[in-house]
Amino acid sequence: MKVTRRDFFKISGATAAGLYASQLGFDLSPASAYAATLRIKGAKETTTICAYCAVGCGIICHTSGGKVINTEGDPDHPINQGSLCAKGAALYQWVNNPNRVSTPLYRAPGSAGWKKVSWDWALTEIAKRVKDARDQGFVKANAKGQVVNRTENIAHIGSAALDNEECWTIQAMMRSLGLVYIEHQARI
Amino acid sequence: MTNHWIDLANSDCILIMGSNAAANHPISFKWVTKAVEKGATLISVDPRFTQTSSKANIYAPLRSGTDIAFLGGMIKYILDKDLYFKEYVVEYTNASYILAEKYDFKDGLFAGYNPKTKSYDKSFWAFEMDEKGIPKKDKGLRDERCVFQQLKKHYTRYTLDTVSAITGTPKDLLVKVYEAYAKTGKPDKAGTIMYAMGWTQHTVGVQNIRTMTMIQLLLGNMGVAGGGVNALRGESNVQGSTDHGLLFHILPGYLSTPSPQWPKLDDYLKRRPKSSDPLSANWWQNEPKYMVSFLKSMFGDAATAANEFGYQWLPKVDVGVDYSWLSLFDAMYKGKFTGFFAWGQNPACSSANANKTRQALGKLKWLVNVNMFENETGSFWKGPGMDPAKVKTEVFYLPCAVSAEKEGSISNSGRWMQWRYAAAKPFGQAKPDGDIIVELFDKIRGLYKKERWIFPEPILNLKWDYTTKGRFDPHKVAKEINGYYLKDVTIQNTTYKKGSLVPGFASLQADGSTSSGCWIYCNSYTDKGNMAARRGLKDASGIGLFAEWAWCWPVNRRIIYNRASVDRFGKPWAPKKPVISWDGSKWVGDVPDGAWPPLANADGSPNPNSKYPFIMKPDGFAAIFGPGLADGPFPEHYEPLECPVDRNLMSSQFINPTVRVYETDMDKFFTCDPRYPFVGTTYRVTEHWQTGIMTRWQPWLLEAEPQQFCEMSEELAQLRGIKNGEKVTVESARGKVTAIAIVTKRFKPMLIMGQQIHQIGLPWCYGWVHPKDGGDSSNLLTPSVGDPNTRIPETKAFMVNVRKA
Amino acid sequence: MADKTFFIDTTRCTACRGCQIACKEWNQNPATKTKNWGSHQNPEDLSFVTYKLVRFSEVVSGGALRWYFFPDQCRHCVEPPCKDAAEALGYKKAIMRDAATGAVLFNQTAKVKAKDFEQIKEACPFNIPRYAPTKMVMAKCTMCIDRVSNGLLPACVKTCPTGAMNFGDRSQMLTLADKRVRELKAQYPKAQVLNAKDVRTIYLIIDDSVRYHKFAKGQGPAGMTRIMAMNKLISPLMRMAGLKG
Repeated sequence: MKVTRRDFFKISGATAAGLYASQLGFDLSPASAYAATLRIKGAKETTTICAYCAVGCGIICHTSGGKVINTEGDPDHPINQGSLCAKGAALYQWVNNPNRVSTPLYRAPGSAGWKKVSWDWALTEIAKRVKDARDQGFVKANAKGQVVNRTENIAHIGSAALDNEECWTIQAMMRSLGLVYIEHQARI
Repeated sequence: MTNHWIDLANSDCILIMGSNAAANHPISFKWVTKAVEKGATLISVDPRFTQTSSKANIYAPLRSGTDIAFLGGMIKYILDKDLYFKEYVVEYTNASYILAEKYDFKDGLFAGYNPKTKSYDKSFWAFEMDEKGIPKKDKGLRDERCVFQQLKKHYTRYTLDTVSAITGTPKDLLVKVYEAYAKTGKPDKAGTIMYAMGWTQHTVGVQNIRTMTMIQLLLGNMGVAGGGVNALRGESNVQGSTDHGLLFHILPGYLSTPSPQWPKLDDYLKRRPKSSDPLSANWWQNEPKYMVSFLKSMFGDAATAANEFGYQWLPKVDVGVDYSWLSLFDAMYKGKFTGFFAWGQNPACSSANANKTRQALGKLKWLVNVNMFENETGSFWKGPGMDPAKVKTEVFYLPCAVSAEKEGSISNSGRWMQWRYAAAKPFGQAKPDGDIIVELFDKIRGLYKKERWIFPEPILNLKWDYTTKGRFDPHKVAKEINGYYLKDVTIQNTTYKKGSLVPGFASLQADGSTSSGCWIYCNSYTDKGNMAARRGLKDASGIGLFAEWAWCWPVNRRIIYNRASVDRFGKPWAPKKPVISWDGSKWVGDVPDGAWPPLANADGSPNPNSKYPFIMKPDGFAAIFGPGLADGPFPEHYEPLECPVDRNLMSSQFINPTVRVYETDMDKFFTCDPRYPFVGTTYRVTEHWQTGIMTRWQPWLLEAEPQQFCEMSEELAQLRGIKNGEKVTVESARGKVTAIAIVTKRFKPMLIMGQQIHQIGLPWCYGWVHPKDGGDSSNLLTPSVGDPNTRIPETKAFMVNVRKA
Repeated sequence: MADKTFFIDTTRCTACRGCQIACKEWNQNPATKTKNWGSHQNPEDLSFVTYKLVRFSEVVSGGALRWYFFPDQCRHCVEPPCKDAAEALGYKKAIMRDAATGAVLFNQTAKVKAKDFEQIKEACPFNIPRYAPTKMVMAKCTMCIDRVSNGLLPACVKTCPTGAMNFGDRSQMLTLADKRVRELKAQYPKAQVLNAKDVRTIYLIIDDSVRYHKFAKGQGPAGMTRIMAMNKLISPLMRMAGLKG
């Protein structure tokens, strides 16, 4: 991945600040009274594509110490050329969001609340339920006696929010389990 | 999109209808603005004056759900004034085809209708064939039974008076729009359509789009730069997720889901229609190569010719049975499911008639919800009106990574497959979805290995080697999607080694010697590397194709149907913005829709080695007459299921005669009912996305659009005694929501069949989980009824009441 | 010869609010709790943590409905009255002008008394300065001085998709503004740029300025308003202080 920059522009005055400062009313170095250092200086750059609508805008993620510290439009991207709408511009707050759920949760039948659980427990329990349901609900032949080999009592929806590779893999898994009720956002 | 985002700048006239692109696809306006500043006309047709309308040269309001009347009027205008592109229409469309005797249309119904089954026998819509089995044509377009003359006859009724009475659009505005758009019928002019859910979410959704497609064909706007039919897809990868078959009716690459009508693989492989015309590429005749390669990707070495490459391991859907979204939730409501995966989706807010959906979730034994934030689906059991103690559904919530925390590709609306990288590790214990899928399936397969139960073959034989060091490896899957040679294969003197990547779908085989998870993506990850990760900025085309940036399906073709952008000699209709052109020995420009030479030799004689431009159609011609749809070969205006008028001015057929309604106690519909006198519609805002799950939790976005609102005209507000900023209750037959009134000049009462009709609109991006004062989903109001072809719900036109809360 | 200037072409603004959010993001300014008040404009006004705000207004002009969007922000006045006011009140280092760009900057380490802030705010013809009473600090648009000093465009300009937000050398921006006004004049006779000579954030509008926002055009004589105008009359000494530069 090579990132070039087209959004730099010349600061014609920057090199001659001393000269201008000699004029009345300008302060020699006001930026020092502000945050003079660029907060993304030295940060690692990774490109991504916006997660919202399907324009497919390029975004640069700046990371430092393993943390995303800034996101902004990718100036090299031919579609958005560095620009972003409100959602794209807020990508930073989607990644760095304390409201995200950090662990698997389980809600027992009739319970009024969530319980934190481990990944291993959650996936083991789901796997058992999938197998039980499939074994009970598997249909070899339809009402007309035609072979259909399908699982009619499990349904799946999602997702247009997954990557292509994940979409392909999840359809492979669901179809191997015999699901026919497979749907997602494209239908609504 | 047949074209792509940057290409909008090449247009001479942009019609935005059924979309508010400025708000929902804001970056599209970078290119729309460029076109307009070069002199293009921008037209916005919308029930509400939107951000898009604010930038348009022409704004025309219409009543929600009357687009076919509006566009049918445009067809009539184009034909009456002879503004169509005759050469294009004759050479590239089926306008010249002669219809067989049985075709007829009378008072809103086409021939072949069966009122009992509410469906058509499509054999009534056939063409007359010659002795070779090729449709008979009248290239003069004069035969009374030819498609062109029947088209003319069909739209005779769509007069300005009738259209205006139905749509509420003033006649002078109709003419203004028609006139501006029809100017693109000149060979070197291009008009484009940008549409979205404002067209699909109707009981006539597909026909809305078909009407426009027919206009694009009449004006010669398909295949050209600045033209096309452009669906603005709403989600970052809804193109890719559809391409990869996350729908009941298609496998990856738009291969049909197996069904008992094709009991054996051989039956499946022979199902596509043949063409007797040597000039028709009839591309789908290659389907056997794609299907067998797909099966090889699914089941690997276990798939052999002897076991039909594992065809029997794929589940089959019954003929004529619908398993789509609305039917799925109808079945769930009736208690037919034990388990349900809501993976990266929030149906409790996104599903039409959301109350029914929420009740349906309570009938499940277990629910798996994968998301990054708490949402109305995973937490349905503690939602409004629910008593958790009585809800027996077990819920597993699995936290997933966000896109910037994992690597992989997504496909945008212009079919560009673009690679993205992991910037940081996932938050907390969240995992990339790929890892969740792999780990879950490993556990399921483990159980089947221990204890072989019913039909374990597909589970045990699934090719499942997509990890590196125990983690999901998107590169491995991307290569599988592209496809491999599975043995040494020699094609035209070149030998491809076993294990090498297939260079393109033209090389795929039906004998099991190649694999390809999704044939349309074959060529995306080759021995040249990961094409989706390319960042080349050279644009040799001069029309913004950027052929070296990322990769585009199919085979990096940026504008599809581009063989229709040139005349019979291969000369571009628009010489200043050529997509492709024939230099005497080869095509230059975009990757052409096939390398065959042009239809005519330089001396005008037909070239027998050529092919017609519309290669995905069995006959090679674009369909002005479309006999494949459920509700008729020509689009016809029908009223929405819920509407404010008591009759259809076009015919005595009130609503779409092929619409199916669901019949549970929660499927209630009221039309022309004084309790629900106003037309309701739903939409989105820039700051929120879909149900808001990926935006409502972000303080910056919430600050800008904090609460559910209901937009209404000043006249309606006065009628109901509502002041701007006050709380209102909006009610339909199915539910109610509370919202803040935005009283605006941007909605106006309309004159419909002599009656004053009010329209209101609400966004569907809020939900009860967060924020607490944000309001609930407007899908509590919308009807669970869909288009007969797609079953996409009619959430854009329904009836409501509004009053002070 | 500080020479940077924004040119904001409101005719190209679609109210996507990329600028409003990009400003928050770059400055890491928190959101405030808002309510829908019958408008899409939210937050309702600029604040200590909102330097950039797209203002919405619906008007009927010549019988046609128009929806105007006005991305409001500090004008970075050529002769900033806020600075004059602050200095007149004894705050020598509270407001500064950057020599290279002309950016008018509020010093985040300078404490200002609430009643003095009111006077400084009153001095602004565009009603821009905002204040945090608990911190006793003023805030507003910084011209992304940290970005600009490093050769990057201000966040709001970079994120704008349609060319509504522009930034660069003052002479170039003035040329661009002139050209756009000429292009638009035929269709919109009221097309005009606002306070071009006196500010470094130049707006192009096509209707009366009050139809966009009360303070779209400077209230009072540009560069010398309200309190300052009074001060200039009563105190020659003050006037010297105010008119330096």
